[in-house]
Amino acid sequence: MLASFLEGWSIFRQNLLGKIGLVLLIIFALMAVCSYIPPWINPMYNPMTGVDPAITSCTPPSLRHWLGTDFMGRDILSQLLAGARIAFMVGISAAVMSIVLGVSIGMTAGYMGRFVDTLLMRLADMIMVMPTLLVVLLLSAVFGQLSIWTIVLIIALFRWPGVSRIIRGQTLSLKQRPFIEAAKVAGASHFRIIFVHIMPNVLPLAFLFMTFRVTSAIITEAALAFLGFGDPGTVSWGMMLQWVWKTGHMFQAPYWLLPPGICISLITLSFYMLGRAMDEVLDPRLRKEDQTD
Amino acid sequence: MELRRYIARRMIQVIIIFFVILTVLFLLFRWAPGDPVSMMVDPDMTQEDAEILIVQLGLDQPIGVQYFIYIKNFFTGHFGFSFHYGEPVVDIIWNRLPNTILLFTTSIILSAFVGVFLGKIASWHKGKKTDSLMTIGALVTHTLFLPWLALILIWVFGYKFGWFPINGMISEEVWLDPEAGFIARAIDVMYHMVLPLFTLFLIHFGAYLLIMRSSMLETLKEDYILTARAKGLEEKVIRDHHAAPNAALPVVTSVGLSLAFSINGGALTETVFTWPGIGRELVSSVSQNDYPLALACFLMIAGVVLVSNLVVDVLYAYLDPRIRY
Amino acid sequence: MPCMNAKQRRSSCRWVLILACATMLITGSLFIASTASAANILKMGLLQEPKTLNVWRASDRWSRKVVGLMYQPLYVRDPETLKLIPWLAAEPPQFDEKTLCYTVKIRPAKWSDGTELTSEDVAFTARFINEFKVPRYRSKWNFVKKIETPDKHTVKFYLKEPKAIFVSRSLTTPIVQKKEWTKLAEEARKTKKPLKRLLNEKIKRPVSSGPFVLKEWRQGTFLYLQKNKYFFGTGKKIQGRLLGPYIDGVIFKIYGTSDASILSLKKGSIDMFWWGIQPGYIEDLRANPDIELFQNEKSALYYMGFNVRKAPFKDVNLRRAFATLVDEDFIIKRILQGYGIRMYSIVPPGNAFWYCPDVPRYGEGLDREARIKKAFGILRDAGYTWEVPPVDESGKVVNGEGIKLPDGKPMEKFTILTPPADYDPHRAMCGMMMQEWLRMLGVPAYSKPMAFGALLQQVKVRHDFDSFILGYGSLSLDPDYLRNFFISTNDKKRGWNMSGYNNPHFDKIANESASAMNRDKRRSLIWEMQKIIIGDVPYIPLYDPKLIEAVRKGRFTGWVQMLGGVGNLWSFCQLKPM
Repeated sequence: MLASFLEGWSIFRQNLLGKIGLVLLIIFALMAVCSYIPPWINPMYNPMTGVDPAITSCTPPSLRHWLGTDFMGRDILSQLLAGARIAFMVGISAAVMSIVLGVSIGMTAGYMGRFVDTLLMRLADMIMVMPTLLVVLLLSAVFGQLSIWTIVLIIALFRWPGVSRIIRGQTLSLKQRPFIEAAKVAGASHFRIIFVHIMPNVLPLAFLFMTFRVTSAIITEAALAFLGFGDPGTVSWGMMLQWVWKTGHMFQAPYWLLPPGICISLITLSFYMLGRAMDEVLDPRLRKEDQTD
Repeated sequence: MELRRYIARRMIQVIIIFFVILTVLFLLFRWAPGDPVSMMVDPDMTQEDAEILIVQLGLDQPIGVQYFIYIKNFFTGHFGFSFHYGEPVVDIIWNRLPNTILLFTTSIILSAFVGVFLGKIASWHKGKKTDSLMTIGALVTHTLFLPWLALILIWVFGYKFGWFPINGMISEEVWLDPEAGFIARAIDVMYHMVLPLFTLFLIHFGAYLLIMRSSMLETLKEDYILTARAKGLEEKVIRDHHAAPNAALPVVTSVGLSLAFSINGGALTETVFTWPGIGRELVSSVSQNDYPLALACFLMIAGVVLVSNLVVDVLYAYLDPRIRY
Repeated sequence: MPCMNAKQRRSSCRWVLILACATMLITGSLFIASTASAANILKMGLLQEPKTLNVWRASDRWSRKVVGLMYQPLYVRDPETLKLIPWLAAEPPQFDEKTLCYTVKIRPAKWSDGTELTSEDVAFTARFINEFKVPRYRSKWNFVKKIETPDKHTVKFYLKEPKAIFVSRSLTTPIVQKKEWTKLAEEARKTKKPLKRLLNEKIKRPVSSGPFVLKEWRQGTFLYLQKNKYFFGTGKKIQGRLLGPYIDGVIFKIYGTSDASILSLKKGSIDMFWWGIQPGYIEDLRANPDIELFQNEKSALYYMGFNVRKAPFKDVNLRRAFATLVDEDFIIKRILQGYGIRMYSIVPPGNAFWYCPDVPRYGEGLDREARIKKAFGILRDAGYTWEVPPVDESGKVVNGEGIKLPDGKPMEKFTILTPPADYDPHRAMCGMMMQEWLRMLGVPAYSKPMAFGALLQQVKVRHDFDSFILGYGSLSLDPDYLRNFFISTNDKKRGWNMSGYNNPHFDKIANESASAMNRDKRRSLIWEMQKIIIGDVPYIPLYDPKLIEAVRKGRFTGWVQMLGGVGNLWSFCQLKPM
């Protein structure tokens, strides 16, 4: 295990994209951690309810507020840091949930075969085909108001099909292997076989998919917040963009308009690069060939 | 024969899926806590008025009854009346659909063409500066946040430079002028279309570029390319006549498969640019709890996605007999 | 040298295409620049598209703005005195106490299709509303038992009982043409749901009695209204004002965002933006030499409401203490950036006749410390205790913590629901500030922004809330809403009594005021109602924002300022091209 990890790491290190991606992610993670600092220094830096006694309108960057203030006088930098925290939370939770769902369903479908397989895969088809953003939008009308966790749940519910297909394929091929036969003969229950024997072998593939799930979850939440369907009590980057757009400051306040968008784009980029690099680690065929053409 | 059975089977599946979606959404909406009547915050509307309206809109009947009425109307071509416009939903969608199709298809075609073109060049110069530049460029533009990009473009080109209108699809001066002919109006629309088109293009061409590039790299390893080289053909000819057409196939299929992603982008673009299309109508009807319209818009989009997936699958099956099973 | 092969042909095709597009773009932009706009057409920017031009369906303000230029009522308000003056009517209504009959004489007038406007149209309108129970108008006509039309220019309305609102609310209903609606009414009667049929009718060519009539509506982009040559007011002097309209028409351009509209205003593509300018834009527009800003008051109320059905909000002392804590100064100066006025009563001060100046004014003139002390005093005397009292033994003000109810139990967390920040930054911010002010007193308040639809659902329908901050952007000038908001019979699902206020004494006076036909008597009742309400504070009035509107100089002159802004009927009738 350790040897293969080290081998993977050395391949990873050679990949420039992967390194950049990792560095960016670390920066964002630091941002998320630092988000707790400003309100602790002074309550006026609270991203949601922080009120500066001297300022209640949109102001450019200053010593007190390094990125300026928004239309209600709240500190933009604290909002940006809080947004990083939300982005990670949303991205990782949604990704983990969808992976858990996708892996379970994929393994079950692959292992059970026949009717269960067809049913689950048809369901997957149906869900995969829908434009997630619009579906979540529609659901937000139904619920009236979405809290951030409901949004995470719904995103996860619509993202498992992609994973499940691949896992199913893996399961199908694993099913034929001798060690599974042996377990069956030994009298292991289906449940045990699936989760104890098959799962460890499909997990690495699942983790690979996680990086892509994270980006799509972050973008979906940002787009939802942007359109006005997010959780009004949460400060996310998408919500910041919505505020700057709807309150009509987008022409006057580049210091407010630019940072959240740059952050969303960069975090997406970094996960993407990381994913591609991990792709190369796990799939030997994709490794960079010799320089000669 | 085989192919026909496959098509028939897939079509039935599509129809079933469509109705399942319709039912699920319909039920969800009827159970929804918010109703459009309570959104009317008019001090002049008393609760009796509100109750009368609810009865008139048919919101007081049991769900089963409402559902059957809906299905019956669906098959007779009546998709309900919008709560907010008071017009038949069909009229509203009919009005908006062409605008979306115009913007959407133009952007996809443009991104696909440019993506293929640049991907081809990038693969040819693999490992060199051109390739890295293009790949990085594609990666960066593809991960830009679409609404934010749209806002930036409006700010820079619409506001600061004033080269393009900052929203909408037409200017009323042109359309009200009785002397303005078709050409003038078409130009007006195109003028308004530049920024939204550019936004969509920028976001999407990167994906096609990357797919084309890796596809070309695979194709170039094939034997027939070796043969062509051995024959002594020019490199350019090999690239453009032999490799590219075959390498472009995965791009074509990926256009179909990434439709859902593009539709999301389309809805966002329409909203930011106030382009009067279906995506934007869906967003605004949802925020106003206008269920019939929201449901119909979504079903329209879902229908389009299902049908195009069907087409892609059939095309695949036609081209590759192994897939039919 | 080989002639062009396929690839070269393709690439040259591509170049031709690019060249063609570029040419078209360039010529297109030139073309658009050179298309001159007709000199005498007013261009107004709207934030949203009107949903409908069906006058009975028009509930959103955009539809009503446009419909209001076409369908006219019998009486309108004078811009300066706000008194009701005859418009389609020829003179003030005559009231006969014995028979409870109002007699209205109608001015000679024509519809936009050339036919005469007669008493038949007026009677038809009223009967139509009653028969089909048209929402919003039904409650203003359902007490009219009989309508007579002795001649073409006289209408007599017989009421079942005395109703004070008849003149101010019923006689301001828009009148429709009998011919336009008769056929539709017949069709509707045959269906199972006649009202639905009527409301869903798309009126493509509204028949107008006003200064303008619809010429073209391109969905999603603009509406074009042309001058109505049959307008009864043309050339007449009403209330000392000589009416036009002097402009050839109005184009309403639809912009999705305020940004786009204000940009157009600056560029000169529109002459006026028919919506309030948010404080963020005002400085920029004020400095612009081509733009003129108008400031007017609104008949509006933004307030904090409590759910007096449940504890601890049942306790009037608690509400009074909260009212004392509100820092009005902060709200007006900082949140509204000075563009607002303090509201002491439910009725805005701009409504001078009905506004009662003599209501309790909690916390007025006190600074923050004094307010905390006063609120502390009110609560302490009512039996509340604290873990850490906000005022310690020496009389110094500290951060209070852990307030306890008179029965000894600690007060539970409660929420202040507000609209989302982008929907209304002022209300959202008021919520945030109330949270902070209340917490200084040790009260566990939490401001919670909620999607607007969901907010209304919880407050109006489910009555499941603690407190909220909402507002009415345009209250009618007749104060009957005061009765509606607080009378106990309106405490039901979707009813207007959202707080659950229940006071039999108030109910009695409110009902009396509804049937007081003598204006002065009614005023004294309305004043008493205000005193009761502000004494009990089920709602804490917060502010009434000022309306700032921007107009482009140099094209038109003659904007009439009035409560509610310059986009009023008088402006449209009096605007002259420069």
